[in-house]
Amino acid sequence: MPHLGFGVGLRTPHLSYIRRHLPPVGFFEIISENFLGAHGGRRQALAEIADRYPVVLHGVSMSIGSTDPLDFGYLRRLKRLAEEIRAPWVSDHVCWTGVLGVNTHDLLPLPFTEETLRHVVERVRIVQDVLERPLVLENPSSYVEFCDSTLPEWEFVGRLAEEADCGLLLDVNNVHVSAFNHDFDPVRYLRGLPHDRVVQMHLAGHTHYGTHIVDTHDAPVAEPVWELYRLATELTGSVSTLLERDDKLPPFPELLAELDRARESAAVLTGGPHA
Amino acid sequence: MPDASPLASVQRWMQSVILHPTGEDPGHTITASSRLSARERLLVHQRGYRLRLLECMRSLHPGSVHLLGQEIFDGFALEYLDAHPSRSPLLAGLGAGFAGHLARTRPDAEPGSEPGADREAWIDLLIDLIRCERAFTEVLDGPGPEDGTAPASPLRLLRVCAPVHTYLAAVHRGEDPEPPEPRQTGLALTRRNYMVITRELTPAAYERLHTSSSPRAQEDPR
Repeated sequence: MPHLGFGVGLRTPHLSYIRRHLPPVGFFEIISENFLGAHGGRRQALAEIADRYPVVLHGVSMSIGSTDPLDFGYLRRLKRLAEEIRAPWVSDHVCWTGVLGVNTHDLLPLPFTEETLRHVVERVRIVQDVLERPLVLENPSSYVEFCDSTLPEWEFVGRLAEEADCGLLLDVNNVHVSAFNHDFDPVRYLRGLPHDRVVQMHLAGHTHYGTHIVDTHDAPVAEPVWELYRLATELTGSVSTLLERDDKLPPFPELLAELDRARESAAVLTGGPHA
Repeated sequence: MPDASPLASVQRWMQSVILHPTGEDPGHTITASSRLSARERLLVHQRGYRLRLLECMRSLHPGSVHLLGQEIFDGFALEYLDAHPSRSPLLAGLGAGFAGHLARTRPDAEPGSEPGADREAWIDLLIDLIRCERAFTEVLDGPGPEDGTAPASPLRLLRVCAPVHTYLAAVHRGEDPEPPEPRQTGLALTRRNYMVITRELTPAAYERLHTSSSPRAQEDPR
C-alpha cells in the first residue's frame, strides 16, 4: 500500500484553517462515523480536502470482534464514503463495541484465544470482500485482560493479519499504554509483529494515573512513545504515520510542529526526507 | 437462538456490567494487574463508557447544559442513556430520543394526572429546548441542495412554549443568556449555504407551512 507520508487526524475545529492554508501534510485521516451521517458543510469541507490530499478512513464502530452479525448497512455506507473520497484504505480496531444490538461506543477488548482468532479472521475476510478495499486493523489500548486468554496480544494481532490477509495499523501509543496496564514488555510486542503487514502508524498522547494509563488523545506524544516509535520505524522501514489529537485541540500549527518530530525521526532512520 | 459460544458469553457479561454496574467481583473473567484489582480495571471501562457518551450529549445540547448546569444535565442524560443505550454506529443520533424520554418521565408527572395539570414550566422549557437543539442538528447535517443530495433545503417546524431559539443562539455565541419567558412560539428551521437559519413564525404562517410541508418537516424530534 502507498506510503502517504506524515498526516494528521482531521478534526472539525481545524477545517477552516486547513481549507485556508493548505498545510504541508502528507495525508489526513477522518473518523468515519463523524461523516457517515453528515451531508452539510462538514461533508463539503471533506470533499474539498479530499480533492487536495489523500484521506483515509478510520472507524470506531465496525465491531469486528463482536459476536453480533456484521452490520452490512453500515459497511455499505462505509464503502460509499471510501469511494467518494478515494480512500486508499479503511481502518478500524481489533475490538468489539457491543452485542445484542447495542453500541457502547467503547473499543472493548477481546479475549485472545484461538476461538476468537478464527471468529475475527472470518469476519475480516467478509468485510474486505464487501468494502473491496484493504482493511487495516489497529491494536487498541486496553484496560482489562481476560482469564481465558491464551495468546499474547502481539501474537493474536500478527496472526490475525497473516491469516485474514489484512493490514495492521500500529498505534505506538496504544502499545505503550497496554504494556503499562498489563505488565508486558512493549519492545517484545513490537519485535513480535509481522512488520511487513504494518501499513500505518499512529502517534498520540495519553493520561497517566499512576496505577494505569488511559489513551486520552488530549496531550502531546510522550517521550517513551517517541522512543518506541523510533524502534517501530526501524522495524517497519517507515510507513505512513499519523498524529491523533481529539481533546484539548491546539492550534493546527502546533500539531504540524509535533508532526515534524516524527518526520525527523523517520528521516534519521531511513535516510531521507518525507512528505 | 442466542450465540452460546464462550466469546459470546463473555461479551454479553461484559456489556451488561458496563451498562449496569453491579457489586459483583469480576475476578472470574478478568485478571488483576500488578497495580489494580480486576474490579478496579473494569471500573476504567465503566467510567469511560459514561464519560464518552456524556461528552457527546453535552456537545449535542449546549443550550440545555447552560440552562441546567452541567451536573443536573448529566443526571438527566445518564438516566436517558441507561434507559436507551445506543443502538447506532453513529453518535450523532445519540440524543434523538432525549426529549421524548424526558416528556415521558418528567419528574412532575404524577401517575394518572391530567396532561398539563400542575406541570412545572421549567420542564416544558427544557423539553422544548432539547427539541430545538435536535432539530438544529438535523437541519445542519441533513441532505440539502448545496451538494445536490436533496432538491430543497432541510426544514423543521416546531411549536414551542418559549422562544428557545434565541436562547440557543446566544449560547452558541458564547453568551450567558437568561432563560426565556414563556410565550407560545412557532419556529421554522432551515439551511442556506450550510448555515442553519431559524425564523419565528406568526401563528397563521406556522399553520400555512405546517399544512403545506412534507411529513418530514413536521416530524417532532422527540
